[in-house]
Parts: sequence; C-alpha cells; structure tokens
Amino acid sequence: MNTPAATSAAAVAATPASSECWHCRAPLPRHDVVHARIAGQLRPMCCHGCRAAAEWIEALGLGDYYQLRTAPAPGPAPAGAPQLDPQLARHVIRELDRERHEAMLLVEGVRCTACVWLIERALGSAPGVVKVQVNAASRRARIVWRHADITLPQILSLLTRTGYRGLPLHAKALDDARRREFRDALKRLLVAGFGAMQAMMYAAVLYFGADALLDTSTQELFRWLGFVAAMPVVFYSARPFFSGAARALAARQLSMDVPVALAIALIYAASLIEALRGGGHVYFESVSMFVFFLLAGRYVEMRARHRSGELTDALARLTPMCADRLRADGSIERIGIHELRAGDLALVAEGGIVPADGVLLSEQCRVDEALLSGESTPIQRRGGERLTGGSLLIEGPARLRIDRVGADTTLAGIAALVERAQAERPQLARAGDRAAALFVARVLTLTVLTAAAWTLVDPARAFEAALAVLVVSCPCAFALAVPAAITRAIAVLARHGVLVVKPDAIQALAETSQVVFDKTGTLTEPELTVSDLQTFGGTTPDTALAMAAALAQGSRHPVARAMVRAFASTPTCTPTLDAATHVTATAGLGISGELAGRRLRLGRPDFAQTPGTTPIDDDQVLLADTKGPIAAFRLSECLRADARAAVDALRAQGLTIALASGDAAAKVAQVATRLDIDQWRARQLPAEKLAWLTELRAKGARVMAVGDGINDAPVLAGADVAVAMMSSAELAQASSDIVLSGNRLEALATARATAIQTMTILRQNHRWALGYNLTAVPLAALGFVPPWLAALGMSLSSLCVILNALRIGRQAKAMRRPARQLSGAPTPMPMPSQRASLVP
Amino acid sequence: MNVLLVMIPLSLLLLLGAAAAFFWAVDHDQFDDMDSPGLVPLEDRPTSSGEQEEQRAP
Repeated sequence: MNTPAATSAAAVAATPASSECWHCRAPLPRHDVVHARIAGQLRPMCCHGCRAAAEWIEALGLGDYYQLRTAPAPGPAPAGAPQLDPQLARHVIRELDRERHEAMLLVEGVRCTACVWLIERALGSAPGVVKVQVNAASRRARIVWRHADITLPQILSLLTRTGYRGLPLHAKALDDARRREFRDALKRLLVAGFGAMQAMMYAAVLYFGADALLDTSTQELFRWLGFVAAMPVVFYSARPFFSGAARALAARQLSMDVPVALAIALIYAASLIEALRGGGHVYFESVSMFVFFLLAGRYVEMRARHRSGELTDALARLTPMCADRLRADGSIERIGIHELRAGDLALVAEGGIVPADGVLLSEQCRVDEALLSGESTPIQRRGGERLTGGSLLIEGPARLRIDRVGADTTLAGIAALVERAQAERPQLARAGDRAAALFVARVLTLTVLTAAAWTLVDPARAFEAALAVLVVSCPCAFALAVPAAITRAIAVLARHGVLVVKPDAIQALAETSQVVFDKTGTLTEPELTVSDLQTFGGTTPDTALAMAAALAQGSRHPVARAMVRAFASTPTCTPTLDAATHVTATAGLGISGELAGRRLRLGRPDFAQTPGTTPIDDDQVLLADTKGPIAAFRLSECLRADARAAVDALRAQGLTIALASGDAAAKVAQVATRLDIDQWRARQLPAEKLAWLTELRAKGARVMAVGDGINDAPVLAGADVAVAMMSSAELAQASSDIVLSGNRLEALATARATAIQTMTILRQNHRWALGYNLTAVPLAALGFVPPWLAALGMSLSSLCVILNALRIGRQAKAMRRPARQLSGAPTPMPMPSQRASLVP
Repeated sequence: MNVLLVMIPLSLLLLLGAAAAFFWAVDHDQFDDMDSPGLVPLEDRPTSSGEQEEQRAP
C-alpha cells in the first residue's frame, strides 16, 4: 500500500482517535459501526451516510482527499434530495449560451483547500459539467454545465453526496462585486509596480550620470521616458485615490484620499511643467513609488476583508429558497420563498427550515433556534405559539400560518439592527485623516508662501524651491504611517488565527478596557455533555450509560447525542451491547424502548418515572424501567479547552471580564464561577445586552464583545471591538471586526498585545514623519535642498516608516505566552469536578 | 549611446507584453484561487477528470 495511507492509519491507531469515524471524525457509536474499504483497508464509519460519502470519494479515485485535508469532513447533509422548481430556476440560473448554463452556489461545510479540491474533482468528473470553480475563502462555487446532459438539482445532489450542502444564490451573485474588486486591485497594483520600476530606472540614469555622461538632449529623453512610465501609474493605478477624494469632497469630508490625490496630482503636474521647461528636476519615479506602496497596503487590507463573511451570505444561508404552501383543497405546492404571502398556510417537514415568521397550527413541535438565539437547546413550541423564520425544525412536521414575510420578519429585523449599529459606529480613523489633511493644507500654504517669497528674492529659483517643499514634505510618511503598520499587524494577526475584518479594530483593540463574553458557543462548546450521573439500585454508571446510549442511538436530539458521545468516551465500557428494539420517541418528553427484555424509558422525570417513587429534580434526565429509576443524568455545557487560559491572559493584561448570556441564571453562574468572572448577567435579550453595553461604554469603558450567535449580532455591532468565532452564525461574523479562525480564544490575548505594539509603532511612525517634515521643509523652503536630495529624503522617510512597521511581528513573538500545543482539534475539557463524578 | 534608442523601446515593448500577459491571466481566473492548485501535485495518480475538465473549459 502507499506510504501516506499507512502513516495516517498508524496515526489513527496511536491516538485515542481510533474511536473516530474515518470520514467525519465524529465519535463512533458502540455498535452498528459500519466499515468501508478505503485504499484496501477497512475503515470504521459512524453512519451509512459517511460510508456512502467515503466509498463514493474512493470510487471516484479521490482517496487522496483524506491525506490532503486539514480539517475533518462535514457529516452527511440532512436527507432529502435538493429540489428546484422551474420558478426558482429562473432566479438562480443564467444562460451563458444556447448550450451552457451557469449558477453560483454558496457551499456550506467548506473548511480547507482539500475540500475545494474534492468538490472540483467530484463535480468536474460528472458528465455534462463544464467548469467548476470553488473559492474556499468566500465558500462560493461557480458551476457551468450543459443543460442537455445534467440539471442543477442533479448537480446539487452530487454535492450533497460528497457531504457538502450547496445553496443556489441569486444569479446576480455571478457578477460578484468582490471578485471584480479583487481583480481590479491586482491589476492596478501590478501596473503601479511595473511603472514604478521603470520610472526608477530612468530616474537612476539622471541621478548618477546626469552631468558627466549625458548631453542635454539625452537628459531630456530620460525625463520624458519617466513621464511615459509614470503615466499609467497616475492615470490608471491611482484612479481609486482620485475617485475616493472626489467622493469625500462631494460629501464635504476630508478623507485620507484627499491629501494623497492632491499630492499625486501636484507632483505629477509640477514634474510635467519642469519637463516642458526643459530644466530642473522631475519626480515621476517618486510619485510612482508612492502610488505603489499605498496600493500594496490597500491590497492586503482588501484580502483580509474579503476573507470574512458578508451580510448577504448570512441571509442566503438562513432563509430557505422555497416553501411548501398548503392549498385550500389540502394539496401541497412548492413555491419560491418570495412568493410566500402573509396569511398563507405553510408546511415544514422535520429537518426543514421555517420559511418565515408565523403561528404554529399543529399541536406541538420542537425547533432549533440556535442560528437566531445562539443557545443550543431546541425549544418546544405548542399550537398557537410563534415560530421564527430561519429556525430549524427538529421534531415535526409543523403546519403554520405565515403572518410576516420578507423585510417584516424577525430575521430581517435583526439584520436591519446590525446595519444600523454598524452605521453608528464611531469612525476612529477619521481623526488621523483629519490630521493628515490639516498637514497637507499647511504644506500647500507653505509651498505658496515659499514660491511668493522666492519670487521677490530670486524669481529663477522660485519654482524649484516650491517644488522641493512639495516633494520633500510629501505626505508619504503620514499617508504610509497608518497603512504600513496596520497592514503588517493584519498579516501578523492572521498567522495567529485572528482575522481582522475592519482595520479600525486594531486601534480599538489596543484601547480595550473591558471584555464582554457570550456564553454558549463562545466560552463553552456548542454541544452539551453529560456532567453528572447518579445511579439507583446497584447499577454501575457505565451500564446505565450504555443503556441510555442504546436508547438514544437513533435520535438527533442534543440530549440524546450527548448520551451517545458520553458513552463513546467512557474508557471502561464493554462493546457487547444489544441494540434497543421498539424504540419510540415522544416529542418533548423522551424515548422509550426495549433492551434485553427490559422496558426502558429515558427522558424528563415525569415521563420516565412511574408514579409514586422518589421525586427527581426537574432539570435532570432520568432513565427508568417499569420497576423504578435506574439513573439520573445532569447535562451541562463544557468549557472550551482554552477558555480559562484566555480569560486569565486577558485579565493579566488588566482587562475587566464580564459575561452576558441568554441562558438560565444557574448555568451562567456555574460558568462564571469556574472562570472567576464577577460581572455576569443571565437571561439577557439582545436588546438588554446592548443596553448593558451602552451603559458600560457610558461609564468610559472601551468594550470588546465576543460572541457567536445571531442574537449577539446587534451587541457585536454596538461594541468598540466585536469578535466573532469562526464557527459562529454568518450574521454574527458579518457584524464583527475580528473573526477568530480555529475558534481559539487564547489568540485574543496575543491579538491585544500585537495591537498595542502596533499602536506604539504607529505613534513612532507619526513622530518620525513629523520630525522629518519639521526639519526638511524649512530647509527646502530656504532653498538648501536640491531636488534630488528632496526626492531621496522623501523615499528614505517612507522606507523608514515601512521598516519600522515590519518590526511588529517580531516583538509580539517574544511577548507571546509559552508555546502550547496548537496542532489538532482542541478537545473539549469537561469541568474537573463533574468529570470525577462521571467516572467514580 | 545610440544603442539606447533600440534598447529603451525594446524594454517598453517587453513591459507592455508582460502587462498584457498579466491582465490576460487575471481575467482568466488564474489568480482567483491561490490555495488549492498547490495541492494538485501532491496527488499520487493523475486523474483523468482533471484533464477532461481542462479540455472542456472554454
């Protein structure tokens, strides 16, 4: 067999991970483990879905995926082949020509480049598919196919078989604004680079051989060559600065673009006049280099911005594309979501997404509102209660009367709230821009004064001196001071798994004085764990857990999943266990079934318990047979492995830590005690969290909010610095300044240290730029600075700023905490006391 | 120094050529995905699907 397969197999055997599914790395069930032959070896799989996916990947000859990937595969997508009705097709499919159609999909579950490789290969090998392009960063796939050979639903179902879910986006998404922006920026950057190099070469000739070797006409030639080389840089590459300046001036504001555009235009125009006059010095190379440096900075900023989520993606993910409408005669028709009207009756199947807000007509159902509320436990809804659009139906089916659609839904309301909070955010960068603009205004005044003064003294030198002032004082150092430091900081932070979405955030991060954490999914793992187990009548905990797991095996309920996971992680369990028979789930109460001839019930105490026995706490899950209770389980969330270290590190930096959660007081208090957090609030609605945040900010605190749910989105948008987890809801990511990739909370402390260092260096840069200008400008005004020295001074001052900015990563490394194990997925760490009670 | 009159236009022409080639590459999706093509050489077997895909691509 080939070596990579053998090594990875050995690695799997060596770690406790041998109880993991080969495909998705979920813990294996204790029985009913299915196996698939991959690369000649039997591999365990957690379910038939994973086996099908793995075998299919193998059959396509794509087994290499398992060696190339850096993150586990997503589990099989929920059952139900994707459907697409002709109505909807009109909106998502674009006809390229008579034969070929094109569509843009948002692919869920893309985690690393191996996923991209797998999707491109798997779909690309299907007959009729012409082109597949997957972008891991934006999670978008552009697919071109011949509609005579294959249809979009078929392509979507192929994608589902690989384990990814594809959502067709509106055809407008094909004219992707982000892609256009990226390509434009890349072209402009390259043109500026080429132009600057050429201009510099021609200028070097003038610098070093001007008097001795070249005659006047050759000098003239090189001046005009510089003009030619700088032309595309100024007129093509620098266009964003000019249009930005025009926009800012039209809005009567002074942005950084204004001084930059002014400097570019003035230096270029002055150099052109000099070239026309046939004497003096030209600065075409300076202006080209200036544009190139600035564009390089903006390019890096843009890449960081594109890597994070967008509001439109978030809404596309949450809102289903179609809904099932009940007609008056009882038949069901599938319609596009935009056709749904208030007053319609809609049917949602189990596992489906509620299409819009409405009132439940069925007796009861259970919905997972995690995407909306961030809290993981599914919620029981009874007839007459409201269902929120975007939530996932766990137990159903549900019939509901839609009463709010489109922009009136809760989901759209939250999105609007986010947008408003974003608009109200204080613009920190504006102050810096204003300072630079003021500086430019002063320099311009000084230039005019210099010209006027020299005209009186010696008119022949007036133009040269004025130009020297303009060049030597060119706001390069000012213009570059901020972008150079910020750009470097963004790159350094990205290496630590901290994606900075809005560059402003670095300054705010350095000034943070208080951190407000969300609980579920942020400080704790998004899933439940069995934390406490109490047995009755001499049953051992392991046996009780095995019985519970056998019953819970087939259920998708989070409590049932927690039972199965807890059993799979018990070290002493015996694999000899019969599967439970006659398993029936009663919605909202529990599961019953037969195991080895005993009639067992698992669920809420009032469901599992036969009347007349010892009462059990209501928040526990009880396992009982006909004779009486067998075991009582307490479920809790477990802290993220690095939550403690992260909180301690932030506290060590002098920050106040607070906790705000929508969860019950007891649960929040438990987490707060474990992490020594004094300030905490429970049962908080998004609006209440936001109010608390405003209150804290009014007291003068600079607040960093860390969260993951959509209910956190308004809070995130209203904070000074908003941090979202990579696994969090799209909407939360879209309203955040910083996204933690890899969900490593610990990176926060490093990020803050880097931000503080960045601000220090930024201030140094500013001071340097100011000092240099204060020295150079008066000298130039007095006529002591020859033009070549002015250009050299300007270039060197810019270089100093850039070199200083490059120090940012180096010192942060020394400031980092001692090395920790970074490789591999972080394992959830249950709270120690509870761990002890689980394995007595 | 007369050689400059040949070399300089030549360098400008080369520059134009390079810029044109780069613009073509950007417009033909060569820079859209900077990550996954790096993985392709790690494959043990060449897959036929990849070649078909290229042939079919316009």
